Parts: sequence; C-alpha cells; structure tokens
Amino acid sequence: MTRAARGFGRSRREQLTIAAVAAILGILVIGQLRGQAAVPGLSTLSTQELTLVIANLNTRNDQLRTEVAGLEQQAASLQSARANGQTTVDQLDGDLARIQAWSGAIGLTGPGISISVRGAIGGDGIEEVLNELRNSGAEAIAVADVRVVPGVVVAGAPGALSIENTALGDVFEIRAIGSPEILVGTLTRAGGVIAQIGATYPDARLSVTPLETVALPASTRNLIPGDGQPRL
Amino acid sequence: MNTLLARARAIPSWQITLAVALLVLGFLIAAQLSAEGPRVRYTTQERSPLVESAQSLQSQQDALKARILELRNQIGAMESQGPGSADSLKALYASLEQARIGAGLIGLTGPGIVFRLEDSSQPGAGSDSLVSAQDLRVLVQELWLGGAEAVSINDERVTVSTAVLDIGGSVLVNSAYLAPPYKVTAIGPGDLYTRLQASISFREFVTDRVEHHGVGLAVAQANAVDVPAFAGTVAIRFGQPAASPGATP
Repeated sequence: MTRAARGFGRSRREQLTIAAVAAILGILVIGQLRGQAAVPGLSTLSTQELTLVIANLNTRNDQLRTEVAGLEQQAASLQSARANGQTTVDQLDGDLARIQAWSGAIGLTGPGISISVRGAIGGDGIEEVLNELRNSGAEAIAVADVRVVPGVVVAGAPGALSIENTALGDVFEIRAIGSPEILVGTLTRAGGVIAQIGATYPDARLSVTPLETVALPASTRNLIPGDGQPRL
Repeated sequence: MNTLLARARAIPSWQITLAVALLVLGFLIAAQLSAEGPRVRYTTQERSPLVESAQSLQSQQDALKARILELRNQIGAMESQGPGSADSLKALYASLEQARIGAGLIGLTGPGIVFRLEDSSQPGAGSDSLVSAQDLRVLVQELWLGGAEAVSINDERVTVSTAVLDIGGSVLVNSAYLAPPYKVTAIGPGDLYTRLQASISFREFVTDRVEHHGVGLAVAQANAVDVPAFAGTVAIRFGQPAASPGATP
C-alpha cells in the first residue's frame, strides 16, 4: 500500500469518526434546545393534568375578562364625567365599598357556609381549609369572628390553636361567604380537604352547614402598610 | 519551550477537532443529565395540541392581567385629576387610593427579604425533595407571623383571595401556573429575618425541608424590594358590603 493510499484510508476513518461525533453532538444540541424551549411548568404535567389546567385557565380568563370589562366601563364613565365637568360620587362610593368589602376593610353579608370545628387539630389543618375555601371562590372568611385577611394566620399545635394572639379553644367556627353549593361540595367531596384532615387528625371533627345568610365582620387590622410605600 | 511548540504543531488537526468535539459532547451530556430532575417530564410531541392550548391561554391571561393593571392606573390617574374640587370629593379619592393600597391593588416597595426555593439537586431524590404548594404556604404564613405586610410568589401578589395549590409539577397561585425555582418576596420590618430565625416553626420548616430533604432555600435581605400589584379580579358576587365597618356577625 502506498503512503498516499494509507493516508487516504486513515483520513476516511478519521472523517467517519468526526462525522459520528458531530451527529451525536447535533442530536444532543437539538434535545437541549427543545428542552429549554418548553415551558417548564407544562412539561411536568400529564395529559389529564393539562386538561385540568386548560379548563382552569379558561375559567380564570373569563373572570379576568369580566374584570377588564368592568374597569373599561368605569374608565369610560370617568372620562365622560370629566368631559362634562360632572362628578361620579355614586360610582366612586360603589367602587370604594366593593374594594373595602373584598379586602376585609368593611363587613360583608351574603349566603355561605359555617364549618364547626371540634377536637384536636393543628394550625396547618385549619390553614388547609382556608386555602381550599379561597380556591372554591369564597369571597370572605372569618375564623371565630376574626376576618381572615393577609397577615392573619391560624397557628399552633392541636389543643393550642390561636389567631391574632387569641386562643381558639376546643370548639370554634369558620364562616365563609360564597356559593353554598360549591363550598360544601368542594370541602366534603371524597378525597377533599376534610377527608384529608380526617386522616391527619383523626380526633378532629369538621361539619359543614350551608347558610342563607352569613354576616362577617370587618378586619380589625390596619391594612395600610407602614414599611412599604406605593410604587406609583 | 520551542520543543513544546514543535510537538503541538506536530499534532494532526483532526485530533484537535475530535478533542474539541468530545469536550463539547461531554459538557452536553452532563447538562442533559443534570436537567433530568426528579420531576416527571413528558415529551411535548405527544401532547402538542394541549400544550399549545395551555400556552395560548396563558398568553391571553398575561395580556388580560396587563390590561387590568393598565386600566387601574388609568382610573387612578383620572380620579386624582377629577373635576371636583370639593373637599368631600378629594377625601373620597384619597379613601379609594388607600383602599386600593390596603387591598394589594397597588405595587409596593420597601425593606424586606427574598427567598428562593428550588427542588433538591441530589440525584435520586424522591418527591419529598420537590418544592410543593405546602412549602410555599408555610413560608408565606411564617412571613405573616413575622410581621410581613406584603408578600408575593414570583410575580403573584398574595391577597385575601389567594390560594396556593399543587397542580402536577407546577403550583397554581392566583390564576398563574408557576414552576420552580420560586421567589417569595416580602416587605416588612427591618428585623423580619431575625424574627423568622427566632420562630420555632420556621426553624422546624428549614430543618425538615432543607436539611432532611435537600430542598434549596436561599435568602437575601435588602433595603428595597418590590412586591407587585394584584392583577386579578376584585369581584363580589354573593356578598353585600355591610352598611358600616365592623358589622356584627
């Protein structure tokens, strides 16, 4: 074999080796880029979970559209009032009452539920119930007549629960305003939050009652921040 | 020196090319393996229409939230420049502004802390090593107990209506699906972190989640952190505002 032929043979092997490495490299680069392009949250969801996410997004987007429509109407009214040199005191009053009622600054009355809590349960169990109530669309919640707003936490070990530095005792009530059917259905469904609490705290008894009218007090907290400043 | 240079020049170029390619290959394999966390990942191809629908709806949601914030700013600006000059009207505008601040409808800035939570990077770690909605709820509760006055998870303000739920491998906060790493930001007193460290329940949380299960938890304190405004619905459908504050039960 001549030197030229040996050189050609080696060169061909080298080229094949480099081509193979380059091919693997290319596949890995594509895999890496695809992985990065995928939305991380969605990539971890099963088909069933994705279907749930889509239904949930549709519902929440509808709510947001309603909010946008209301705000657009409000902005148009204000614009019109400004153009006519009028004031819109009634509208402003209504808006103020709505925001204050939602945030807990004033009391709220409406249909809802009452949850009677008895027996040994930890603060984490009660917080699970409050989280589920919010998820089910509760518009306002109170625990033993304390309105639940940001900053209010039910804490403590079983038998030593407290809220806003006040002991809750062995028996107390959680009340919420919202659709009684939805709230009762969500809390008491098989595998729902009350069933889960029953497994974690077998001595706890939570009974849910739908009510035509629930009246919740205003929060006694000062909702205006002292350390934070508005970012306008 | 000259000998080394001569030897380097003597190395065939294909060997250098191959060495570089193998080096890149090694990096890529390492990156690919490290990206394989304990969370289950599904291939996008098999669920493409569903993923596209979810992404499209999420984009719509982002646009709707941006529109809500824009409209609220616009309304606030119009109210502050309203035609009325009567003191009663000015007081009403001021009350509205305060109500919006108290409700979390206006972003805040102030002293505070930022936590970053992420899944354990330990190989072979189980589901307990993943950051869950429960972890976020516990951390937020600890922050409230420590005196925080505004909290957000990633860009979602925690308000009176905020629920934090596990949905598969992501966490639903307000109406947004969030994925790790999670950033929990809180505005509060200057000694907020000191208060947290003094809390037995916070220490138990750190011991259990970080030391026992390897969840990543980093914290930074700052003189100024930003907590965004709530960009969701402020709707009351079932309730009626009470005639006066402090309604009796």
